[in-house]
Amino acid sequence: MGVADLKVSDNPHDILVTYALGSCIGVAVFDPVSKVGGLIHFMLPDSTLDPEKAREKPAMFADTGIPMLFKSCYELGAEKKRILVKVAGGASILEDSNYFRIGQKNIMALRKIFWKNNVLIAAENMGKNCNRTVRLHVGTGEVCVRIPGEEMIKL
Amino acid sequence: MKTMDRILRSIKNIPAFPATAQKVAAVMGNPDYSITHVVNIIKFDASITANILRIANSAYFGVRRISSLHDAVVFLGQENIVRAIQVSGISKYFKKASGYGLNGPELWRHSVGVALMTQIISRKISGREDTKLFTAGLLHDIGKVILGEFVDDSIRRINGLVNDHGYSFIRAEEEVLGMNHAEVGGKMAQQWNFPQDIRDSITYHHRPDLMEKGENLFCWIIYLADQVCLMAGVGGGADGLAYWGLKDVIEILKIRQKDVEMGIIELLKDLESAKELIEII
Repeated sequence: MGVADLKVSDNPHDILVTYALGSCIGVAVFDPVSKVGGLIHFMLPDSTLDPEKAREKPAMFADTGIPMLFKSCYELGAEKKRILVKVAGGASILEDSNYFRIGQKNIMALRKIFWKNNVLIAAENMGKNCNRTVRLHVGTGEVCVRIPGEEMIKL
Repeated sequence: MKTMDRILRSIKNIPAFPATAQKVAAVMGNPDYSITHVVNIIKFDASITANILRIANSAYFGVRRISSLHDAVVFLGQENIVRAIQVSGISKYFKKASGYGLNGPELWRHSVGVALMTQIISRKISGREDTKLFTAGLLHDIGKVILGEFVDDSIRRINGLVNDHGYSFIRAEEEVLGMNHAEVGGKMAQQWNFPQDIRDSITYHHRPDLMEKGENLFCWIIYLADQVCLMAGVGGGADGLAYWGLKDVIEILKIRQKDVEMGIIELLKDLESAKELIEII
């Protein structure tokens, strides 16, 4: 999967992967009953920045991409109350400014959206200054986060 | 042998920069240059010729269906032909490189991303593109080509300093290896006789604030382009985003948060249209 991309699947052999998140965030969702999984790699918090782009590529922004991720899962038979949400990414440059805050802004936008929609985050690995790769095994719902030079983390 | 001596020896042993690229840049520096003259220099270099034809057909340059070197030189124009030649020459060094948890093509993708981002920033602040900046963008992380294997051998110690002691990645490189990748890159560019401003922008690309006062806008643009690519995850590796954010960049480049975010959107589009530049290796 690329940046500003979204995929859903109910094929148990599929593994959805997104690489080098940087300040972007990967949201992995999974319904253990219907075995439907989905992953989004969004880049920016707010679609009001460029509404035209948001229509063309909704997965670019948190506020247009996350609802679309859930809807796409419902279409394959997932139900909201059963969906498990795991998130990773949102890294930041080392602090010396109140300027380069795309990572923090992404994290805040994500929490706000889930808060408003009564969705709990089951597990997360966000912030700090590392790059993360996220894998979702659609067959099992297992989510793994890989940081270069470190052990694999199971969320 | 000490690690630093081994690094210095690797810099000395790096193959010379392709003579064709240097010659073309020199000829095109003369306003009365002839296209035939340029074609005659390039055509004896089969690998650069093949690369130029591939790059010339990239949507990024906005031309289509170029099948001869002569057409490439005519339709691309001076600035883009120089860019195509630099892409061809510099990409060679990334081919067999690895390090920072990445392979050569991934390190190269980051370099192209930064080069494209410098043009987005340049268009924003001055209304025009700048081929020298593009070249500096392609070269900014060239030091990683040499330092990569040393970094990977010591990644746990380096990560330890970054994660537990608040070091930036380049300071951790200095502490563990004796040199950082920006310094190594500056020395390589010196060996290849690149001009002073390009050398400086490589050496200081993480710390433009440490440069002597003067005309150093160039270096701040490379710095910001690199930071934006790291945030957007364009070729991000084991060093992650562990570099200092310098808020002076807002004042110096007169650029706002919104410009940076719009720049990221533009970057994604340019990365797509410039995929021939990325796939050249």
